[in-house]
Amino acid sequence: MRAFLLRRLVHAVFVVWGVVTVVFFLVRLTGDPAALLVDATATREEVERARQALGLDRPLLVQYAEFLRAAPLGDFGVSLRERRPAMGMVLEHFWPATAQLALAALVLAVVLPIPLGVIAATHRNGALDHASRLGSLFLQSMPSFWLGLMLILLFAVALGGLLPAFGSGTLSHLILPALTLAAAPLAQNVRLIRAGMLEVLQEDYVRTARAKGLAERGVVYRHALRNAAGPFLTVSGLSLGFMLSGTIVIETVFSWPGMGRLIVQAVPGRDFPVIQAAVFLFAILFVAVNLVVDVLQGLLDPRARVFGDGA
Amino acid sequence: MTALHRPVLWLALAILGLPLAAGAAPPTSVDGVPIDPEAELVVALTDDTTNLDPRIGMGSIRSNYIRQIFESLVDVDRQGRPVPGLALSWKPVNDLTWEFVLRRGVTFHDGEPFNADTVLFNLDRMFRKNLDKWGIKDVAAGTAFDKVYPFVTRWEKVDDYTVRVHTSEPSATLWDFLGREPLVPRAWTIKHGVEALNDKPVGTGPWKLVAWKRKDHMAFERNDGYWGGPTLAKRLRLQVIPEAAARIAALRAGQVHLVEAVPPLDAEVLGKTSTIRVASSVQKLACRIYLNGRTKDAYESGGKDGAFADPRVRMALNLAVNREAIIAKIFHGLALANASPVATVAYGYAAQPPYPYDPARAKALLAEAGVSAAQPLTLQLLLPAKHYGQAFDETVGAVVEMLKAVGVQVTVQTLDFGTLLQTLTKGTLPPNGGFAACRTSNNLDADDFVRDWATTTLVNWTPYPPELLALYQSTRRQVDAKKRLAALAELQQRVRDWAPVVSLYQEKKAYAHSARVLQFVPTQELNMDFRGVALRR
Amino acid sequence: MRPPRDAVAWAGLVVIVGSAVLAVLAPALAPTDPVRNDLLARLTPPAWMDGGSWTHPLGTDTLGRDVVSRLLYGARVSLVVGFSAVVLAGALGVVLGLVAGYYGGRLDDALMRLGDVQLAFPALVLAVAVLAVVGSGLGNVVLVLGVTGWVTYARIARGETLSLRHREFVEGARALGARDAGILWRHVLPNVLPSITVIATFSVARTIIAEASLSFLGLGIPPPAPSWGAMLDEGRNYLTTGWWLALFPGLAILVVVLGINVVGDWLRDTLDPRVERGM
Repeated sequence: MRAFLLRRLVHAVFVVWGVVTVVFFLVRLTGDPAALLVDATATREEVERARQALGLDRPLLVQYAEFLRAAPLGDFGVSLRERRPAMGMVLEHFWPATAQLALAALVLAVVLPIPLGVIAATHRNGALDHASRLGSLFLQSMPSFWLGLMLILLFAVALGGLLPAFGSGTLSHLILPALTLAAAPLAQNVRLIRAGMLEVLQEDYVRTARAKGLAERGVVYRHALRNAAGPFLTVSGLSLGFMLSGTIVIETVFSWPGMGRLIVQAVPGRDFPVIQAAVFLFAILFVAVNLVVDVLQGLLDPRARVFGDGA
Repeated sequence: MTALHRPVLWLALAILGLPLAAGAAPPTSVDGVPIDPEAELVVALTDDTTNLDPRIGMGSIRSNYIRQIFESLVDVDRQGRPVPGLALSWKPVNDLTWEFVLRRGVTFHDGEPFNADTVLFNLDRMFRKNLDKWGIKDVAAGTAFDKVYPFVTRWEKVDDYTVRVHTSEPSATLWDFLGREPLVPRAWTIKHGVEALNDKPVGTGPWKLVAWKRKDHMAFERNDGYWGGPTLAKRLRLQVIPEAAARIAALRAGQVHLVEAVPPLDAEVLGKTSTIRVASSVQKLACRIYLNGRTKDAYESGGKDGAFADPRVRMALNLAVNREAIIAKIFHGLALANASPVATVAYGYAAQPPYPYDPARAKALLAEAGVSAAQPLTLQLLLPAKHYGQAFDETVGAVVEMLKAVGVQVTVQTLDFGTLLQTLTKGTLPPNGGFAACRTSNNLDADDFVRDWATTTLVNWTPYPPELLALYQSTRRQVDAKKRLAALAELQQRVRDWAPVVSLYQEKKAYAHSARVLQFVPTQELNMDFRGVALRR
Repeated sequence: MRPPRDAVAWAGLVVIVGSAVLAVLAPALAPTDPVRNDLLARLTPPAWMDGGSWTHPLGTDTLGRDVVSRLLYGARVSLVVGFSAVVLAGALGVVLGLVAGYYGGRLDDALMRLGDVQLAFPALVLAVAVLAVVGSGLGNVVLVLGVTGWVTYARIARGETLSLRHREFVEGARALGARDAGILWRHVLPNVLPSITVIATFSVARTIIAEASLSFLGLGIPPPAPSWGAMLDEGRNYLTTGWWLALFPGLAILVVVLGINVVGDWLRDTLDPRVERGM
């Protein structure tokens, strides 16, 4: 177990380093932010001066070395647009705004499917099951921002401001964006729970238990849920990653003041330090979540050989 | 009213009377309509500002925030005319000297007095002089005054409320380009440093900054000691809502009182709603298609001159555009056609005969200029999509088809604004290239518009021929107002005929607000003015 | 492979084939040129509403272009992007995965690490950054979506290859002097194909949505070419005044993607029940 953790940590560090390096060179390929920071009627000399002031005229590798030196200490430089520490800005936008949104969506996508999936499985081929299957397919088949726009149209406009159309701060502000973000993973998880439950419900030991007259409820929940838990965990972990990147679009639609909106402005605005800091944070979260999911999976189901032979 | 209410009414009047008796308290009614002097006015804007230090930049978004806190020597009235701001008067004392007489009794929000020393300090910052003497850092400025106005030589104070600025050549517009710059406090900036200006600055303006939650909102409170009298609302909140649909939804739901940048079609629909009022004002934003008319040594051309150097070709393109259809159909009347390079609401504007919609004449002109089936005219148009709003993108789409209809082979390349700026900076626009962009002005004078083609800047792809350049420079030096206006008029007429760009439209901005908002008048400036705006009870 | 017994799966097949047919026949079926402006006819509502007419059955957009025509031509874009990007990603991923699984060692390590790095990227940031460099356009969008999608295919191909590598028939073939490429092609690939097909089917659905998202952020196919994503993006500013602009492309995406997902479900049930359910 310890060897496993160590290996995975090293791997995680490598992945984060890889992501950040790729972004570093990639965004510098997208071009020069200096032109954006001066008047459109500026001269070439003024743009050049701005570049020098930002340290962008130094050789690429020098900038990279400087970046590698400072980043592990948490120093990602100063935002080119707002002249404030980049990592500070990113964290400000991440907590509480994006974190709230992602966690609320995660709770919806992880908790709601359990009863829904169970109902679908136990009423197999009944009306409820078909309804859940169709609903699930629908939710996974539409672009999330379209769903968001339709929800705004419905709740904020047509129903006369039942729920707010923009901004953050209260629970009612959180509902629409969280629902939109959670929709597709929620649908997916309902199918997963259902599938996992169905598999187990067919199993011999369940049939035996039923034959022996053991309480249906206990049988269903204990064995079946445990079986579904494995893939369910994997998908939840991936869902969180998907949701973190989904915030990019959803926050724009709902004017949610989080990290997604920050990135949407930083990339075309070529605010390199902010882009780097934000991608770094994303990568760390993604990798950490995957690590946790792997560990949990290994604990839950030793058969999965997550920890390697002879763990 | 029953007998029960009467005593309550008297009591209420007595209580209300107390603060009124105490001094210059904000009024509680406007034209007989009772207002709420403790109200918070909530305004929805399209974006947040990235800086509050005026030196760093004063674009249309930033001006809205900066000009609530800071003020300039020259203020603007609701008709767009210059009026006294922090300066009571300004005049040239001789050909090479301007004198500003400052307003007395003005203090910054922290109590620091405004006087000639403040102005001298700000001039030093604008021209980047004496920075080490003051112990402050330089900032990457949006407009470097020392480069753009190198003829301004020195400045001095005559007394505590009079400042003189000296130039090396006559400058007709000094009152404008110096007078519109918002002024920051001297002692406060020296003490806290220039970075603090972007954090929680103090100014002389009618609103004090109370809180700033980035990308979310900025909250202000009434400046009780404001020289122009207290604002009618107690608090102001500028809320960021990037999506137009969300802004309008918020207005309908009563979550905000006023929204800016209402799309034309929505403005029409909202105007029919009984609880909402729509107001619009002509802006200085002029949208154009800029064409590559540079000579081959003036950019990264690969040895080719720009394909649009011939004025006949450019005029032909102007004749191919059906502006009336665009203004009626896309803008629903919320735009205007202006053949003068100067915005209609700028000081010095002279009306020019509009470019007629005449595709036949356009084709004839193109043929005259040597365009034929064997040698077709191609245009690679760079479009910064989503940068100037939906109506702009639609207009360019429509114009592209109109140009194709007269035989120009247009290909559109959409890119983001930053990439466009980069192309322009590096000079890598293709020889048959062009780009669609809009140009606005922070200043009141026409000079800001006509100087576009005088110096080598990012947007100057059709530099003035020598005679136009000479005419332009004479307008800059002509201090006599009447003579200058005449020269400007001649310049505008000649530029109209020379057609450096394909002019598309001049913007009329639409605002929508709840019927509870009183006395809101949109300005022609880049910022909104909330001094006289009140919320009905 | 049994034909589907489920009515829903049949419906999905019909939808997919139907949209392909409509896309191919678009020039013949479209009422008008999808790119031609007609400012006077701007924003006319669908035919059954006040002010609508049957020359524009589903109304016109902000420049007077016919919605039905744009939907038909847009189907071409969505389907071409969806299938091409997936074919590209699949081909790239399968080749890399086969190679990684067969040869193992440092090559395998390097490829899998690269895959991990790519998966850790927030999806849109990568696409946004790359498209900002190379510029938007049909080819570039296909390239970006294709090149960034290889990882899942590579993993599956690699897994399959690993388990087959030491099986008897492979060892036998090697002993007989067969070349590696031949072995991979003839013995390993056919075993990989069923899982890959299932994944690919769901990928097409996701890619169509991804293209719509890129257009929503302004990076998709440039104007004036019609694409469902771009139409959605145009329509989102007219939700209340021109709701048909956002509704119909959104419905089109929904129906086509739904059809693909349903068929994918059926494919998975028949071809490879081992693949993670619900993906």
